[in-house]
Amino acid sequence: MFSYIMLLLGGLFGFLQVLTRAPGMPQLETPELYYTGLTLHGTALAILWTAFFIMGLAVFVVTRELDMRLNPVLLRSACVLAVLGTLMAAVDILAGRAVVLYTFYPPLYASPLFFIGLAVLLIGTWLFGAAILHAIFKWKAANRDKEVPLGVYGVFTTVMIWLFATPPLAYAVLFRSLPMALTGAPVDVLEWRLWFWYFGHPLVYFWLVPAVTVWYTILPRVLGVEVFSKTMAKAAFFLYLIASTPVGLHHQFVDPGVHPVYKYLHTVLTYLVAVPSFLTAFNIVATLERAGRARGGKGLFGWITALPWGKDPVFTGITFAIILFGIAGFSGVVNASFNVNYMVHNTAWIVGHFHLTVGGGVTLTFISTSFLLVPLLFGRDYVGKRLLIAVPTLWFIGQLIFGLSYHLVGIYGAPRRTYLPPYLQNPDLTQGAHFVLDWIPLLQLGAVGGVTFALGGALFLLLTFATIFAGPRVRLSGGEVKISPDPDRATFFDRLGLVILIGLVLIVIAYSLPAIEVYSRGLSPAPPYNPLTGAPVTPS
Amino acid sequence: MTIHKEEKIWAGIVAAMVVVFLAALAYAAWVIGLQVPGGDVQLVNPQRALEELKPGVREVAPGKYEVTLIGKMWGWFPNKIVLKDPVEVKFRLTSVDVIHGFEIVGTNVNVMVFPGYVAEITWRVPPNAKGTYLMICNEYCGAGHQNMYGYVIIERSS
Repeated sequence: MFSYIMLLLGGLFGFLQVLTRAPGMPQLETPELYYTGLTLHGTALAILWTAFFIMGLAVFVVTRELDMRLNPVLLRSACVLAVLGTLMAAVDILAGRAVVLYTFYPPLYASPLFFIGLAVLLIGTWLFGAAILHAIFKWKAANRDKEVPLGVYGVFTTVMIWLFATPPLAYAVLFRSLPMALTGAPVDVLEWRLWFWYFGHPLVYFWLVPAVTVWYTILPRVLGVEVFSKTMAKAAFFLYLIASTPVGLHHQFVDPGVHPVYKYLHTVLTYLVAVPSFLTAFNIVATLERAGRARGGKGLFGWITALPWGKDPVFTGITFAIILFGIAGFSGVVNASFNVNYMVHNTAWIVGHFHLTVGGGVTLTFISTSFLLVPLLFGRDYVGKRLLIAVPTLWFIGQLIFGLSYHLVGIYGAPRRTYLPPYLQNPDLTQGAHFVLDWIPLLQLGAVGGVTFALGGALFLLLTFATIFAGPRVRLSGGEVKISPDPDRATFFDRLGLVILIGLVLIVIAYSLPAIEVYSRGLSPAPPYNPLTGAPVTPS
Repeated sequence: MTIHKEEKIWAGIVAAMVVVFLAALAYAAWVIGLQVPGGDVQLVNPQRALEELKPGVREVAPGKYEVTLIGKMWGWFPNKIVLKDPVEVKFRLTSVDVIHGFEIVGTNVNVMVFPGYVAEITWRVPPNAKGTYLMICNEYCGAGHQNMYGYVIIERSS
């Protein structure tokens, strides 16, 4: 429920931004409002919509598959803290006291409440992780020889990635950003970014792995088949788990002060974490082929047309999501590519990339899964069932247009996270300097795409809220819902402790080298500045 | 644990692709010399960076330039750089306040600019580069971020 509210809030500001960036569209924002809105858009959608939905999905999968309840004290306090922390941070974002975007790079100043809110939210998520792990390990202790069901394994991977990723973030927030906000203490930006991006990349796998879990479990169920290869699905989760954290330097390829060899090591590990996505692509297509042939599809491509395109909104939505993610996978490999990154770093290309991943692959998967989950959780049938198919269709087309045009305009050097009217309305720049004129048609095309998927999103939220509050009541317990394929005997992948250990070793190898480099050189802290006035912040 | 034959073939293809790509990147960096910014970096007190670094353009040899730039909310200093027949330009950059990002639109020049650190990046100017290029800040640095731009003008004698 809370995640849908976040989707609404964040989506609204996204809609305003995409218009602001395109000449000839209604200009609805001042720079201050644009950056405040962008902070909210990033936080509400990338962090909160995803995290709250994932929490709901994780509880659903674990309780149904293992047939056990989670520790109620842990779970309730986790939810209370997460919502409380969110509200604290949201108040300060809306009040314009934290205009720092969702990356809140120091020494940009934000008010203490913003950082305290973040810390409270983090603690909430840790309690949640503890509740899930507690249940999984308890089940494991009672079922030594049994394989962890595939869906639960996906949840386990998700939670472990989060727990690997967040302690250094907590350090950066509590020991660096919060003292800066409270006393004006200077912060070393390289040290801070090292630990922020240590968190920043596993964050995206924290979004992705639950979506992949849905692709491996719910998608085949909807089509009435089993996943093509359970073993390779588990291998993919295993690789995601061990390799999604020690890769953060690929966000810092053009940072000064980190040795190229360490950056290259993170390039290698980033390529390693692309492997499970390639395996997943194969496995999912093979699963779809199996489903298509079961429906009578013949020949080399006949199975594709035999699938229920446009008829089943869950199948259509999830498959569209996978296609969007696949496209973004290619640009992801470009981003990961060390020196090639010069061409795209901090340009709109990156915006195109992560809108197709988290906005396309992940969000559309979650939207489509909601078509199943909302009736189960709220006991009400969807209103406007015939309209549901329009949601993934609009979302897919809109994201495709938006994503491709933003990728392209990034190649022409258009920056990300920038209020663009001063560039686009200044003839000195559009006529006088190379490339700026080329941005305009692509940004306009991006706005067309943005409006298209905003319509899809609005329709989704309208139908979902109408369903939750006024849908016809149905009796669905959900207790008998089957998610994973039948488990077999335990294998290497089910030695959970060993898997965690391998992940930790890789992290230590990849991060000890740059950490030693940064700390042995000595830090070079810089005092905070107010993002709205540009003035130094003096401790009060 | 069953692994289908097709999957083994696919995994092999993926592994081969990864190796080829990684080799290409390493070749470009260490043999051709398209290297990312390194670990050998000068530290500087942000409040004294202006005096210590002396921003400006210096031609150290024919066609070889060294450009020192300071980022400050919200502008580049200097914000107009004229280069005559440049072959190689070494940029040295730092910030006196928050994080900025230096990008010359349409080129390979793209580097993070930190307070406290002097970033260095060398641009091998393509022989056909000519005219006015926009240099921008590509990392959000506050409410005036969009006003933080300048020009790189490349003049050719022939």
